[in-house]
Amino acid sequence: MRQVKRVVVAAACAALGIVLPMAFHALPGAGNVWLPMHIPVMICGLVAGPVAGAATGVLAPVLSSLLTGMPAAPILPSMTCELVAYGLVSGLLARFVRTGRLAADLYVSLVGAMIVGRLVGGALQALIFSQGAYSLAAWVSGYFVTGAPGIVLQLVVVVPIVAALERAGLVDARYPGKE
Amino acid sequence: MRSFGGYVWADSPLHRAPAAAKLAGLVAGAVLVLAVRGPITLAVVLVAIAALGTVSRVGWRCLIAPLWGMRWFLLVIVALNALLFSSEEPLFSLGPLHLTVPGIERGLWIAARTCLVVVLGAMLTATTTPQQVVDGVRDLLRPLARLGVPTETVALAVGVTAQFVPTLLRESQQLMRAQELRCGGFAARGIMRRAVSYVRLLVPVFVCAVRRADELSRAMEARGYRVDGQRGTTRERGRS
Repeated sequence: MRQVKRVVVAAACAALGIVLPMAFHALPGAGNVWLPMHIPVMICGLVAGPVAGAATGVLAPVLSSLLTGMPAAPILPSMTCELVAYGLVSGLLARFVRTGRLAADLYVSLVGAMIVGRLVGGALQALIFSQGAYSLAAWVSGYFVTGAPGIVLQLVVVVPIVAALERAGLVDARYPGKE
Repeated sequence: MRSFGGYVWADSPLHRAPAAAKLAGLVAGAVLVLAVRGPITLAVVLVAIAALGTVSRVGWRCLIAPLWGMRWFLLVIVALNALLFSSEEPLFSLGPLHLTVPGIERGLWIAARTCLVVVLGAMLTATTTPQQVVDGVRDLLRPLARLGVPTETVALAVGVTAQFVPTLLRESQQLMRAQELRCGGFAARGIMRRAVSYVRLLVPVFVCAVRRADELSRAMEARGYRVDGQRGTTRERGRS
């Protein structure tokens, strides 16, 4: 992908990281449950690489917090670190994982990013942001139970979206000439 | 879907103020709002924001419109704090849920602070064009360029993001209306049915956003823009 396009795609994904939560907040409690900001960050990592993914992981929550008040400032640092991990890891895995099948590559990268991001988020909560007041139960509850619909949503929509972008010729094909 | 304040044409001191100062002011304002502890400081902050809103001449409807879209979010924040914050001297208990006065107070404080930050953000976007935001970010980040930080690229990304938000909101709303006409769903009762309607929207929204990004990047490259900044900046090209 061209460098200018990489930057603009990261910005477009960051904008979606602001717009999608605004849409989902029409549903009660949707932010923590459906995790709408995670989706564009991971997609950016998958299609534009780790640096663009990480940049989206910073831009989306920071600009969203400044422009819309969400996420609230007290949770902004931990959420930003977690999103950076999602974007960075999804981009790195997408770069190095080559199974020969698009869907398999994307699912490995996506699931890897989801696991690493949650581990990073939990570790940062335990060591820095909620030092001494964070437990394994709180981590499981916060990252897996409350956000279970969001996890399912990511598994259902991220790969088809990336495949649709490839089919539309809007991002580089992983396996050119292979349908 | 929540409306998002775009630029509002007007001639006011806030419109004429440098974008860098407004961005720094927004960050400082957000920090100040978070630091608010008592009713007197809250009143001072409220008066200051009201004065800024009046000076901006963009109209209060524009500044508080985003809050309506956040009503459920705010309600949930207040409810969660009211029921889960404390278990001492509950007004009402049901299993692990305890409705307490400190919980209600804490929830209302958080909701009030969030509302104030949202109004400040709406004030920035209503009085600052996306290009001015790019210039402001670049000006603020300029000292970091000496450390090797790609400030031009960061400014470009921030500016394009700010520019894309109202555009993508508009396009999402058009897609929602089109889907509503075809098969309904967004106005359907029931959280799950409405959620499924939003999910159906995701693929076209992403394709639309990346298509716009592709077109914009091609247009920028055609005008000689390079990310390394060697061929000129968006500000220089905008003035040429």
